[in-house]
Amino acid sequence: MTPPNPGPAGAAAPYLVKRVAVLLASTAVAAVAVFAFMALLPGDPAEIALGVNATPEAVAELRRQFGTDRPPAVRFLDWFGGLLQGDFGTSYVTSAPIGPQIADRLGVTVVLVAGGMAVALALAVPLGTFAAVHHRNPLGAAISAVSQIGIAVPAFLAGILLVFVFAVRAQALPSGGYVPLADGPGEWLRHLLMPWLSLGLVQGAVLTRYVRSAVLDVMREDYLRTARAKGRGSTGALWRHGLRNASIPVVTVLGLQLATLLIGAVVVERVFVLPGLGDLLLSGVAGRDLLLVQGVVMVLVAAVLLINFVVDVAYHLLDPRLR
Amino acid sequence: MLKVEGLTVRADGVELVHDVSFSLAPGERVGLIGESGSGKSLTALSLMGLLPEGVTATGRARLGGDDLLGVPESRLKGLRGSRMSMVFQEPMTALNPLMRVGAQVAEVMTLHGRPRGEARERAVELLDRVRLPEPARLARAYPHQLSGGQRQRVMLAIALANGPGLLICDEPTTALDVTVQKQMLDLISEVAPALLFITHDLAVVASMCERVLVMYGGRVVESGPLREVFTRPRHRYTQGLLAASRLTPRGTRLPVIEGSVPAAGHFPGGCVFRNRCPHATPTCETEPQLTEPQLTDPAPGDPAPGDPAPGDPAPGEPTPGEPTPTGDRHAFACWHPAE
Amino acid sequence: MTGRKARWMTRWTTGGRPGDRPGEQPGEGRGDLPDDRPGRRPGRPGGRLNAGLLAGGALVGLVALAAVASFFWTPHDPTLVDAAQRLREPGGGYLLGADKFGRDTFSQLMVGARTTLYVGVVAVGIAAVLGAPLGVIAGMTPRGWLSELIMRVNDLVFAFPALLLAVMLGAVYGPGTLTAMIAIGVATVPAFARVARAATLQVMVTDYILAARAAGRRRPAIAVRHVLPNIASVLIVQASVSFAIAILAEAALSFLGFGTRPPIPSWGRMLQESQELLFSTPRLALWPGLAIALAVLGFNLLGDGLRDFLDPRLRRIRAEG
Repeated sequence: MTPPNPGPAGAAAPYLVKRVAVLLASTAVAAVAVFAFMALLPGDPAEIALGVNATPEAVAELRRQFGTDRPPAVRFLDWFGGLLQGDFGTSYVTSAPIGPQIADRLGVTVVLVAGGMAVALALAVPLGTFAAVHHRNPLGAAISAVSQIGIAVPAFLAGILLVFVFAVRAQALPSGGYVPLADGPGEWLRHLLMPWLSLGLVQGAVLTRYVRSAVLDVMREDYLRTARAKGRGSTGALWRHGLRNASIPVVTVLGLQLATLLIGAVVVERVFVLPGLGDLLLSGVAGRDLLLVQGVVMVLVAAVLLINFVVDVAYHLLDPRLR
Repeated sequence: MLKVEGLTVRADGVELVHDVSFSLAPGERVGLIGESGSGKSLTALSLMGLLPEGVTATGRARLGGDDLLGVPESRLKGLRGSRMSMVFQEPMTALNPLMRVGAQVAEVMTLHGRPRGEARERAVELLDRVRLPEPARLARAYPHQLSGGQRQRVMLAIALANGPGLLICDEPTTALDVTVQKQMLDLISEVAPALLFITHDLAVVASMCERVLVMYGGRVVESGPLREVFTRPRHRYTQGLLAASRLTPRGTRLPVIEGSVPAAGHFPGGCVFRNRCPHATPTCETEPQLTEPQLTDPAPGDPAPGDPAPGDPAPGEPTPGEPTPTGDRHAFACWHPAE
Repeated sequence: MTGRKARWMTRWTTGGRPGDRPGEQPGEGRGDLPDDRPGRRPGRPGGRLNAGLLAGGALVGLVALAAVASFFWTPHDPTLVDAAQRLREPGGGYLLGADKFGRDTFSQLMVGARTTLYVGVVAVGIAAVLGAPLGVIAGMTPRGWLSELIMRVNDLVFAFPALLLAVMLGAVYGPGTLTAMIAIGVATVPAFARVARAATLQVMVTDYILAARAAGRRRPAIAVRHVLPNIASVLIVQASVSFAIAILAEAALSFLGFGTRPPIPSWGRMLQESQELLFSTPRLALWPGLAIALAVLGFNLLGDGLRDFLDPRLRRIRAEG
């Protein structure tokens, strides 16, 4: 019988280094993909800007101005190098720098996603746990059924329903628009409440099912029986030994959900006329402002990768078996 | 100290354990043997109040002065881990993977009122007592860093932490390597107070216990002192079981038991073993009772318990001269016992 | 990605339990082993031919019926703009009323079902045709460079949700049904590949595959003869779940104007058009909303139900003696 090697608790450092490298590498590859797709495939921005009647000289001149006469690899490095310094380039259409626009809008989207996630968690953790503990009685089954229906409702539909109830009928909340926090927290909150709910209720329904399933699985674990054999009641055993174990799979789902919320926010911003990244993205598409679209897409993809990274690290911290 | 009467376990209307009675004196070591599906684990779990959801136990069981069945969880949990403990079959999954081993041992002591610091110190002592190497370092390890045998020792340390009067072991070595099994068994017999030892391994029982209960189909079919039951099995099932494990007295090799254990709820009525018993007759369609025949001086002319005269006693009527069977003396439930 | 996480993700993208399948008997029909022992069923939630499967099948059947029927008959021409019927209340041949262009809502819903199923079938088809073989290849050669490459690319594609892909495609090629279907399909590939890989990994260690390999069967033959039939049930369940997600994505894209173009009716665009009239004519939002929710619910229930039905080894009470 050889003694085990418990190892130092801080063995996560090499892992973190490796994981950061993976994050940077995948962001770079994603940037190549976005660039290849957006900058190489479509037509010549100079020709588009000048229209069909432009002289070849004028097009060549504009191309030189835009920098699109250079080889793609150079253009990519230029763009990507700029990204690393927060410079997203200048729009071919509006001639406005893209970086500041994105920075302006990012805050709204982050607030929207964070609030939606908070609503989802506040809903799902208690309800899912309750449904698992009481999975044999009607109330638990009812929670499962309601969450099943919640999953079937897309966020923008939930938004429309909420507008109908709270803006059209009750006339308690504004049906859309945005007020910056600086202009008064009360109004800010009133304008964000329904967007938060429309994102959060739906994701909360999805999450409830996962929480329920995770807790149910944990409830069947032998170590919970061990805890009860030690003299804990079933609730105490679940609290002390179950919830942290159940949180491991839930964290994975949370990551997926954050990504979903981020994308869902694009649609919900449209429903509630919120000036976020999604709104910027869609107006970029409408105005054929490809460099702007390219920048926003890159930010959203990078955010998804970052979320994955955070989930992986959280996973690692939660589960000693991975260290 | 432990007294069980008429323990019956049901799930979804199916009886999984039927009318089991036995008792255990302080310091006594009793083996509960049978194939898987015989109800032995459920018997143990119902004493601990740890039956799975949807499975319920009725009957009477007392540990010292405390009832174990039909009492609320709040009463029972004060006994669990302090006055009675259990070691389970599967050490790989029995410990919380996210918690250090030492903390898991200390937990059982803090739960029953010991101060945290003291519990931590004593946890290390306990790990030492179950012969784990470098206990202080090992206390900081997580379960996945330990082998199966080491984890089972941790489970034993948890079970012993509060000095229980009764230790229940449910196949504690089945999941372990053969080389580790012996060490584990030696350790258990060294440290155990009163022991209820569940196994399907007759050799293990022979080395650990003074008395055995043989279970089949949720019933105790034979019980008594180990030596008597093993050298002179009376129930045909016990006989087959021993034959299968080649522990029979020389020269009387018997065939292995035919067929396999039916699924729960699919045992025949009457004698539960009759569909696999080579000696079964129509008599076996009525249920035999667990009885203690007066082996010392059978009255001449008395019908042997397993050999009722035609049209004779109604099933269930006790055969002459036997006290309530508690498993103290050799008893069996068979119409055609082996001689 | 770590193994444990991958396991959970697989489990939760399919919703299945990785340890439970696939079936280990090569010859036996999968899914025909319901545990119907008497005395085991009462009080157990979710029997085998379960209510979810039936309800899901019924809802999906209803959508399919509306779609098929719309080829032959609709009460009105769903694209006919008729100023006289503008915002007409329900009744008199207009079962659910008409929208702001006087188009019959019920007819639009019927043809919208067609659009929904069309996008779903093509998108899930793309995902299955690309994802399943990639997953099988990755699962059959778990340590090879090809497997590594497939899974890396998979992870990368995973960072591009359907909506982003559709917006990118739409920005470059112009929005439309085709770009929406491709975007949704490509974005769903990783889910299929992961599920197929996880299931294949399990099948590969079973005795009959080992026997087939020992007998010198070539890999493609093993893949077709043994692996695919055994992971089919997993893929079917995944297809149903993906279909629900595809419906949601299509609705969202159409809502944003990146899906089906006018005048072809689509539930998502009906919702978008109804939004400005929410204060005056909320029923215009009600019907397409209900249609989307019921269709998604149907495919989700069908997926869950199929999983329970196809998976004979569901959780049992631990009643070992």
